[in-house]
Amino acid sequence: MLSDVQLIGTTGSRPGAMGFLTDTTLCIGCKACEVACKQWNQLPMDNFGWTGHSYDHTGDLGATTWRHVAFIERLDGADGQRVDVMPPFQSHWLMMSDVCKHCVRAGCLEACPTGAIIRTEFDTVVIQQEICNGCGYCVPACPFGVPELSLFDGKAHKCTLCYDRVTAGLEPACAKACPTDSIQFGPVEHLLERARQRVADLHARGVTSAYIYGDRAVGGTHGIDGLNALFILTAEPEVYNLPAAPELPQDKVGRAFLSTLGAALALGVAAVAALRRL
Amino acid sequence: MTAKYERTWEHRRAAGRSVSDEARTSYYGLPTIHKPHWKWLIIWYFFLGGISAASYVIATLADLLAKSHDARRIARAGRYLSLATLIPSPILLILDLGRPERFFHMLSILKLRSPMSVGTWGLTIFGGFCGLSALIQAAQDGLLAWARPLNRLLLALPRRAIGLVGSVFGFFVGGYTGVLLSATAVPLWARNFLLLGPLFLTSALSTATAAVTLVLALGRRVNRRALHVLERLDRLALAIELGLILAVRLNAGAVIGRPLRQGRLGALFRWGVLGAGICAPALTHVVGRLMRAPTRLVAILASSLVLIGGFLLRYVVVMAGRASADDPEAYFAFTRHTRPRA
Repeated sequence: MLSDVQLIGTTGSRPGAMGFLTDTTLCIGCKACEVACKQWNQLPMDNFGWTGHSYDHTGDLGATTWRHVAFIERLDGADGQRVDVMPPFQSHWLMMSDVCKHCVRAGCLEACPTGAIIRTEFDTVVIQQEICNGCGYCVPACPFGVPELSLFDGKAHKCTLCYDRVTAGLEPACAKACPTDSIQFGPVEHLLERARQRVADLHARGVTSAYIYGDRAVGGTHGIDGLNALFILTAEPEVYNLPAAPELPQDKVGRAFLSTLGAALALGVAAVAALRRL
Repeated sequence: MTAKYERTWEHRRAAGRSVSDEARTSYYGLPTIHKPHWKWLIIWYFFLGGISAASYVIATLADLLAKSHDARRIARAGRYLSLATLIPSPILLILDLGRPERFFHMLSILKLRSPMSVGTWGLTIFGGFCGLSALIQAAQDGLLAWARPLNRLLLALPRRAIGLVGSVFGFFVGGYTGVLLSATAVPLWARNFLLLGPLFLTSALSTATAAVTLVLALGRRVNRRALHVLERLDRLALAIELGLILAVRLNAGAVIGRPLRQGRLGALFRWGVLGAGICAPALTHVVGRLMRAPTRLVAILASSLVLIGGFLLRYVVVMAGRASADDPEAYFAFTRHTRPRA
């Protein structure tokens, strides 16, 4: 299970960075955030149909979905029997509103070859639509599966943390619409402090599995150095479709080029040795 | 514009497992990360770009190391082949963009930590060298006699020095594509980040050697010794390539390497890449020698097989990567593996 080190809650976020705290213990799965996001950002509809996965008919984050509510039903115990003990929170349901993590060091931003993806004055990560040429390299470069190429305009899209609203002094549409304050918006330092208190409070109430996802200890190691969108989770990250220890892909670039250089030298020598006989 | 959704909600729920059971280890078996959209255009680019890069290097080395007729023929074939396979490359890359008309946005910035950005510049510069060397070759071949001043200028240029500098960029273009794939979250590629660059570079050398051999053997104007030299080089490249492929397969492990073992891709990997691409050419050489078959015939057959195998290698690496990105178990095996000790 989760060790104590994951409760420390430290972040590499710069002072003044703005972000989200999504407290999944407060989420009631109403999907108001999804709707508010679609309305404000004028996003077209997704695949219209049933997924067969609980109440989640959205599936995942994508070019036209910047908030996605995950539904996890835990209706039977490890032995396959129906559980008859009610846990302190969330009954047997886990719900989480997933969003772009606005990583302190972002894989999509470092991958982008056009400079379309930028870090804003709020320390959030935004794709400039007038620059993006749809190369699609940010899509597999994201360790969380957030950006996606749109079928409508061929460009990559993801959550902007409502850059337009934030510059005007408003909170993002999803946080505004959330009826339980499961989604909170503010300076990351404050949110982290609040998250620490909330986790301590949850532990006192018996939810000992609660922890912060997105600090340095979990979800922010291996070069990512913390997330500007934090989450309070009560189960293993994989249960919410989140990686336990995501990596910043670009941290491998230097070593990968070095090994390729080594191969180039070896192959050069081999080619010289072979062609010398001509 | 009618948009068609590729996303379906198929999942990997095993028989006998309940939804809650599935929800304990992954999210209904749905993909955690998005796979890249790269398909045929990129696979063809990897194949042709690799041939272009390595045949330039072969041409340069042949020009530098030997003064025989054969060396001159290899250099000529290599330079023309390099240009011929380079020309489609940027076209394929631009067509693959979501907004092709904005391709030049990549040429207004250089980001050293983005292999695609570095690669764009590397390919652009290599394109310059490739075109220049082909022009010099054309001038040597008397094809530009009608443009006297240009002809004289081209013949006055330091051909070998240009070739050497261009070869550095050639090696880069041959190998950066592997680095580009490994600098992603795709488990199969990211796990093999030290191997993909060398593998793509080696495959570039083996396919380029095969392509030069094929052109020369079809052209009839080359003697057996030159074909044997090229054959030796190709054998060497294929041996290294085999080692790297097996290392990728081993390093991927049971879960992440699943697409290389199972289904259509697994069969293509075994019979296409390893069988037709590496074992069959070696076998052709051995059998050809035993049966005293004409060297030209053996060379044509073997190099065709190497080219097919090289293409299938790019196909399998790209498609198996996409399959591993769709598999949450593979991604979690990757991200759990790297989890720090508490």
